[in-house]
Amino acid sequence: MAITKIVEVPLVIAEIPIGPQHPALHEPLLLKVYADGEEVVKVEVNTGYNHRGIEKLCEKNTYIKDLFIIGRVCGICNAVHTDCYVRALEYLLGLEPSPRAKYLRVLTMELERIHSHMLVNATMAEVIGFDSLFMQIMLDREKAMKAKEILTGNRVMADYIIVGGVRRDIDDAKKEKIKDLLLKLRPRVEYYKKVFEEDETIVKRLVDVGRLKPVDVTLHSLVGPVARASGVRTDARAEDKYDAYSEIPFNVVTRKEGDSWARMMVRWDEVLESINISLYILDHLPSDGNAVPDEKRLPRIFPAGDSYARVEAPRGELTYYVMSDGRSTNPYRVKIRTPSFNNIINSAFMYIGHSLADVPVILTSLDPCISCMERVTVVDLKNNTRYRVTVRELASGKV
Amino acid sequence: MSTKAEIFSKLAIRTEAVKPKRMVFVIRPEDLRKVFEELIKAFGPESFYLSTIVGVDLPAENRMRLDYYIHLVPEGETVVIRTFIDRSNPVIDSIIDIIPGALAGESETFDLLGIVFKGNPYLKRGFFVPVDLVQKGIHPLRKDSGV
Repeated sequence: MAITKIVEVPLVIAEIPIGPQHPALHEPLLLKVYADGEEVVKVEVNTGYNHRGIEKLCEKNTYIKDLFIIGRVCGICNAVHTDCYVRALEYLLGLEPSPRAKYLRVLTMELERIHSHMLVNATMAEVIGFDSLFMQIMLDREKAMKAKEILTGNRVMADYIIVGGVRRDIDDAKKEKIKDLLLKLRPRVEYYKKVFEEDETIVKRLVDVGRLKPVDVTLHSLVGPVARASGVRTDARAEDKYDAYSEIPFNVVTRKEGDSWARMMVRWDEVLESINISLYILDHLPSDGNAVPDEKRLPRIFPAGDSYARVEAPRGELTYYVMSDGRSTNPYRVKIRTPSFNNIINSAFMYIGHSLADVPVILTSLDPCISCMERVTVVDLKNNTRYRVTVRELASGKV
Repeated sequence: MSTKAEIFSKLAIRTEAVKPKRMVFVIRPEDLRKVFEELIKAFGPESFYLSTIVGVDLPAENRMRLDYYIHLVPEGETVVIRTFIDRSNPVIDSIIDIIPGALAGESETFDLLGIVFKGNPYLKRGFFVPVDLVQKGIHPLRKDSGV
């Protein structure tokens, strides 16, 4: 059919969905971007693609089973989640773990911070189209994963921290192996930091993109490296001095620039700090007290009251609120507030005025962790699938 | 403790503590906005951030409890503003126009516990809760939700 009439469509604001499945996103999240030409004028963050009902599951299971549910809130930062929950329980009990256990907990969490920060920096390289750098960083990240495996027995899912201590101790041979891996990792991280500082492509794509003022950080409750890259000096490790952080020397890294580049540089500097902390721990690991408590003798009922623990997860301040009624073996209420929950949902204002191509860069610079963010609601158990049946059995305490 | 505590204690009807040693100021629900307004007026918006909002359903007392965890930035302390609202009519003033960072916490609390934040235009069901539960009108974290 021949064209008989040409209608001119006026340029209007276009709605562009980015996600829930998108090459630039590694996890399901929908950013509804409204663009005038190439310029972003409004962003809506749509959630709800990855909820697993963790808070409700925690209320339906015992305190000890919850340890393992909570480790599965997030794969990347499972040890910090468990540490935060365990410390909330220890505050309720008034229990203090042995110094050796505290040092080992910090070592796991710092190894986790190293591999988490390296992952997001690698992802950033991939998002801006620098795939070889992505592969190089991921290859060296394996050293941190290996070190974590030597310490906890697993590359990712540690399940390492329990009430009163940790689940396994390390000997001198393992200590030397971890030290060796970290000493090999350090020059590589220094090299990558230099690449991020000097490479023309990276600097062009990241500098001045998604600039955040300190006042925006606090008003929108943004936490972690995002806040520190804008000069807001907040770090739960330095403020609460939990576990062994009161005895270990370390610096809180802050920068003034506040753009995407500064957020990535804060992460590289924190990796170097974490390597120093880990090496310090391996040299100064106290040998007094038993780090591994008897798991059969763990308390089953906790005293009535509520406690609120904070931990500096790789993505920022992570908080757990645990409330006990003093009678039941299940907690009355567990509230988890992950750093990504604040950083992603509250940050829609950051994209405005930038071009569409900058949206993935800004999102990656916030280090999104969707599985962390969407852990709250309930899976419908009645309708279908064998997976849901398993969850149902888990929730009713049959498994 | 800083002088920021004076603002909280002026409006508090009593004080409690959440372990480990975090100060809790119990206030009347109608004073909630005043706390944040005075805090910003006296110390500026860069002096604190709203860390989280914790809602707890207390059916035995026929009320709901809302805790606002505020992190004071230079001091590095977390203080709690606690308030109770009626369970049969859970409505409280929103603070989203003063502190935009309340968006995540208020949306989540509305979806899971059914607490209405008056003046927040972004509240919607299905923020996290699956569609089938939304259609039945269930708020999953209420103790009598049956989920």
